[in-house]
Amino acid sequence: MSWVTVLWSMNAAACLTLAGFYLAVWFKQRQSPVYLLFSCSAIAAAAISAFELWMLNSRTAEQYQQLMRWIHVPTWVLTLSFVAFVRLYLHAGRAWLAWSIYGLRTVVLILNFIFPVSINFNAITDIRQFSWGGQMVSIPVGTPNPWGLLSNLSLLLLLIFAVDAAIVVWRRGDRRRALLVGGSMIFGGILAWHVPLVIWGVIDVPFFLGFSYTAIVAAMGYELSNDVARAAGLVRELEISEQRLNLAADSANLGMWEWDIVCDEIWITDKGRAMFGFDSLEKVDFELFRSRLHPEDRESVLKAVENSLGTGAKYESEYRVLLPSGELRWIAGRGQVEFNRDGRPFRMHGASLDITKRKEAEEQAVRQHNEMAHLSRVTMLGELSGSIAHELNLPLSAILTNAQTAQRILASGGTDLGEVREILKEIVSEDRRASDAIRRLRLWLTKREVQQHSLRINKVVRNVLKLVRSDLVNQKVKVETKLAPNLPAVVGDPVQLQQILLNLVVNASDAMASCPTPDRRLVIRTEIENGDDAITVSITDQGCGIPEKNMEQLFEPFFTTKEKGMGLGLSVCRTIIAAHRGTLWAMNNADRGATFCFRLPTTAPNERVVIDNNGSSQ
Amino acid sequence: MSAFEATVFVVDDYAPVRNAISRLLRTAGFVVAAFASADAFLAQYDPGACGCVILDLSMPAVSGLELQEILAKSGSLLPIIFLTAHGSIPMSVHAMKRGASDFLTKPVNDEDLLAAVRAAIEKNRDLRSQQAERSEIRARLATLTPREREVLEYVVAGKLNKQIAATLGTVEQTVKVHRAHVMQKMKVSSVAELVRLMQRCQN
Repeated sequence: MSWVTVLWSMNAAACLTLAGFYLAVWFKQRQSPVYLLFSCSAIAAAAISAFELWMLNSRTAEQYQQLMRWIHVPTWVLTLSFVAFVRLYLHAGRAWLAWSIYGLRTVVLILNFIFPVSINFNAITDIRQFSWGGQMVSIPVGTPNPWGLLSNLSLLLLLIFAVDAAIVVWRRGDRRRALLVGGSMIFGGILAWHVPLVIWGVIDVPFFLGFSYTAIVAAMGYELSNDVARAAGLVRELEISEQRLNLAADSANLGMWEWDIVCDEIWITDKGRAMFGFDSLEKVDFELFRSRLHPEDRESVLKAVENSLGTGAKYESEYRVLLPSGELRWIAGRGQVEFNRDGRPFRMHGASLDITKRKEAEEQAVRQHNEMAHLSRVTMLGELSGSIAHELNLPLSAILTNAQTAQRILASGGTDLGEVREILKEIVSEDRRASDAIRRLRLWLTKREVQQHSLRINKVVRNVLKLVRSDLVNQKVKVETKLAPNLPAVVGDPVQLQQILLNLVVNASDAMASCPTPDRRLVIRTEIENGDDAITVSITDQGCGIPEKNMEQLFEPFFTTKEKGMGLGLSVCRTIIAAHRGTLWAMNNADRGATFCFRLPTTAPNERVVIDNNGSSQ
Repeated sequence: MSAFEATVFVVDDYAPVRNAISRLLRTAGFVVAAFASADAFLAQYDPGACGCVILDLSMPAVSGLELQEILAKSGSLLPIIFLTAHGSIPMSVHAMKRGASDFLTKPVNDEDLLAAVRAAIEKNRDLRSQQAERSEIRARLATLTPREREVLEYVVAGKLNKQIAATLGTVEQTVKVHRAHVMQKMKVSSVAELVRLMQRCQN
């Protein structure tokens, strides 16, 4: 076999191999058309080589004519694939140039089949055989078709397109690609110019268009192989990073999961299975997950999931799960939804963390804070015993006197029923007053769950003044209230807020103990702040103010200036206010005395606060 | 406010108690005048009034003890019954020392209150009659001449006519005449009676 046959067929075979390989790649990754384009170019290049080999070995002009005409089909495919590849893969090359090449090349192909012989020749009269490198090869002899210039023009445009694209890629900083793909195309484009030269009889060489195109195909193939290699590297890196992630997830006690929404199947790591109490082989679906949720938290979790599925927002939820063993756990879940092209959710993946310990610690802290608040209330009540006795004594006193009066009226055979009716009415109303006082006391003294009521701060102020009225009278403190009307509600615990106010009122009245009687004036003011965002309550006294050196320590536990005090009052107040998302502060007045203020937000907190006060229920 | 009819003045800032006590007293047959504050009472206060005052110890503005002081300074004869929900021992001692008629704690039993009121009114009556007697004696004293007044002092001090005459530098007969005038003007028939009269006047 001659070496020409070997060389040309090997070229074709190499091109076909590459084409076959990337065709297989394309089948797996249909979404990237570059692999298909590459395969098309490689097949076309192989075909051109085959045609050329055939032409070199052809013996008749007629056969040559036919081959010369049909070689334009793979050339058309090749040119179009090259241009499209550059546009799609390198994202370079001018659109108008590309479309001109597509158009021109197609026109050439059509004309090629319209002309009697081909676009290259009006007629092939003969074939000339000559020895080339020791081998006999055939080239055509005839009158060239002047329309063949169109084919040359398209080749020129291709060259310009390639140069322009290479410059763009080079400037973009991707010099290797510019050199390799752009360079090979320019090189191939220049080499292709031997075809018109042979046709016009300028030089005597066999057609080797297949080789010049193979160079380009090889360059493209090399580039693509880089991508494939990089993808393989990425897969490996991905594996490593997945291992790292698993390791991190394990050590962080994270349970990773992935929910296939279409098939409703949940894949979850072993840690996660243990967390939710799933068996290691059990098939997990959403219903099973749902069944593990604590009934009270079910709705909020489902809402969070629905929200994520509907809006694509990140899924975040803290909830309790009830294991089959009866164990209760707190879980924090985070996740993300993936959507397909139609915008429908098809997968959700994320992680779950066991936060039982943290929750327990939080609850413990809240419990301690409530214990402290309760202790402080009981202590305070001891100091206020006079007031409390008074609160109960007054109605009891009125009741006794009224009842005995009625007895007298009846005993004396009196018939004044009107008077008796009046007496009974007063007894009933005074009895209510006494039971109100007892109810307030009971609320004040019992340990109970912290409540989250929507309440009116002015009412809290008035209740506190009822509680402390008699002490203030005895201490000759005159109270002035400046309560803003129509205040928006705040959310909080009524007893704890009363406690704060009572503490501040008692402090203020104590601060004025050494003042002359007419100066013992206390002002309680409620105001709205920042539009409707917050309410401020201030208690102003006319005492001697707070020494500058004590300002800092004022709210620290066990700091006190009173002889009998434990120094817990203000620190407890500040904790309570903080739990109500408010702030508490103190300042000295410009003239005399001090003012204590606290601010509470009027908007309801979104987060659910359920705190068990004594730790025994639930 | 009648000066001749005993009235119980109730001063308490807490209306239900004030009303109940007033009603009880009225049912028991007393004339009652009730006031919500010490100031309201003082605004209508007639120094010649008779009866007694029932006073709440702790009231805003002027307290019970302060009102007691004001009344004492004005020479009032109205006995005061203190009524308190949470009076301390020092407070009650303080009140009693200043002449309070009684010190009762709320809730108060009707009998106790009525007894206290009756006792207080009785006391007021005594005080008033003593005061009337004193002014009668003072009126009689006012009719004496300076000399007769001098003689009266010596007679009450237990001096004999002879001693008095020596002290005044006159004769016994003149002292006897003065002495007879004194006995006549003071409307007494014996020295013992005169001495008792003078003692009452000094009380």
